[in-house]
Amino acid sequence: MTGNAGTGGGAFVMVRDLCRIYVMGEVRVKALSNVSFDISKKPAEFVAIMGKSGSGKSTLLHQLGLLDTPTSGEVIIDGKNLLVLSESRKARFRLERFGYVFQEYALLPELTALENVYLPAMALGRKKEEYIRAAREVLEQVGLGERLHHRPREMSGGEQQRVAIARALINKPDILFADEPAANLDSASSGQVLELFRKLNREMGLTILMVTHEPEDRNYVDRVIWLKDGEIAEHGT
Amino acid sequence: MLSDIRLSMFLAQKSITKGNKGTLVLTIFIMALVFVNSVFVSSLFLGLTNTINEQMINTMYGTVVIEPKKDEKYVDGVYSLKQKISSVPGVTGVSAQYVTGAVLSYKDKSGAWSVHSINPDDEVTVTTIHNFMIDGEYLGKQDENEIMLGKEISGGYGGDDEDSSLGVKVGDTIDVLFNNGVKRSYRVKGIFGVNFRGADATAYVSQKEMASILGMEDKASQILIRTWDIGNEDRYVKQFLGLGVSETIKPWQNYASMVGDITESFDVIAMLISGIGLFVAGVTIFIIIYMNTISKRRQIGISRAVGIKESVIINTYFLQAMFIVTCGIVAGLLIMFSLVVPWFVSHPLDFSIGKISLLILPERVSISAISLVIAAVIAGLVPSIMAVRETIVEAMWGN
Repeated sequence: MTGNAGTGGGAFVMVRDLCRIYVMGEVRVKALSNVSFDISKKPAEFVAIMGKSGSGKSTLLHQLGLLDTPTSGEVIIDGKNLLVLSESRKARFRLERFGYVFQEYALLPELTALENVYLPAMALGRKKEEYIRAAREVLEQVGLGERLHHRPREMSGGEQQRVAIARALINKPDILFADEPAANLDSASSGQVLELFRKLNREMGLTILMVTHEPEDRNYVDRVIWLKDGEIAEHGT
Repeated sequence: MLSDIRLSMFLAQKSITKGNKGTLVLTIFIMALVFVNSVFVSSLFLGLTNTINEQMINTMYGTVVIEPKKDEKYVDGVYSLKQKISSVPGVTGVSAQYVTGAVLSYKDKSGAWSVHSINPDDEVTVTTIHNFMIDGEYLGKQDENEIMLGKEISGGYGGDDEDSSLGVKVGDTIDVLFNNGVKRSYRVKGIFGVNFRGADATAYVSQKEMASILGMEDKASQILIRTWDIGNEDRYVKQFLGLGVSETIKPWQNYASMVGDITESFDVIAMLISGIGLFVAGVTIFIIIYMNTISKRRQIGISRAVGIKESVIINTYFLQAMFIVTCGIVAGLLIMFSLVVPWFVSHPLDFSIGKISLLILPERVSISAISLVIAAVIAGLVPSIMAVRETIVEAMWGN
């Protein structure tokens, strides 16, 4: 199936005609071209974005996660067109509604696991006791209750990625964006992370959009959006 | 807002405490040296001008001078005038002087110098020359046929004009040809050296001696007044005017136009040196914070990605810059007041105008501190603002 598939009114996430063109000197590179799709909230979906290298997977995730600004199109989440928001409103939206997990863990090396996790909660203005308690709970939830005061360099890749997941969950987001979260992990750690995602999706109703290039990851997700040359090539399960 | 500040402080504290300690200490040390340099230069120049001012007051003019009325040659009624002036609270000394030019000669050497006649008992209440006798004794009230010379006239004590000095010692007899044509011979009673050329090129005789030469009583060329405080001369001038003193009254600053020019020049030099120091400090902080932001570009991207505001990130770097500059200023003050100042107190610079030490004015120290803070704030803010201007994707992945 090609083109703008899977769209419908009243969806939780609605992506419409999304384009991202990079201009490098005289050259215009079309990274995304008229991408449209929907993601429902009930039940919450665990969606994989897949495709070959350079197909625009990460670019699409960055547009949806408000990490980059598309050249044109709309990203409507919970009925709100996010692309018209100011940068500060986007930052607030990211803080309150989104969680992120990146391939390279993206932890702040000067902070302990606990501090890395409670940072977004602190930024939200929550009380100290509250955010420390919440950070402890979520770290225990991802199996790192014994590693609270370790710095990233003192933890394995799998542990660091679980700290990143805990950080993504601390503010109880509506959507978790994951960019190749298991790419740097061994198969055991990779399986743990994906199992955790599925559990969060099923038990907590967390919508997850995950970029991956591993075919076996399809086993964990509800739906796959296949990208090819910046366009949706196929929707599948 | 409060939570933003708290978050900025948290991130800044972590960056400082968990970052590279060596770089931090080196940066603070550089800030301290810049601060010391700024304070030191201005304090040294202030000390220099202060010494000149003190020398003028202590050795030549006192704090207020009464001169003859316009178009008159002498101050008349000196005795009653001295009584009036002495009655003003705060006046600690009054000395009437008659000043004339004279040619002093010894053997084959001679030269023209200024000769002042004084009542030694009065003079010691105004000037401090009596404390700087190199050889012999200070004049006595009843001294006749005796003269006291500054070292620039006598020679032999390291004056600036040794070549044109008379080359006399205490006990030698010199000839003095006064402007009115009277010629007398005097035994050199004492030689003084205050290290201030204007004063050291002066000869003193007693009032009694001068009265016998000029045949004048109760007249003077000038009356020097010493007050217990310096800087309130205008108030004293008003009080003297209020007492009916109709002669010309001048505060000592009127004689310090040359010093004023020097002070202005020194201020410009001090400003230039401090300005260059501050520029170097600003560039140093800029480079350090810029390198810091470059090396933490990805972290800045991550922080922004998880929803931390740009202003929080900018404030984090601002607080780091403030911490560095505050520590630099504190360290600079410690270096200044525990090392530099004590050293200068015990080892003042020996200039030809006198001993030069540092004069540290709180307002000058404050200006140096504020200037350094401003330089640090600019140098800290610019790179952090530049860092948050790029997109999150660029910051995180360099795209």
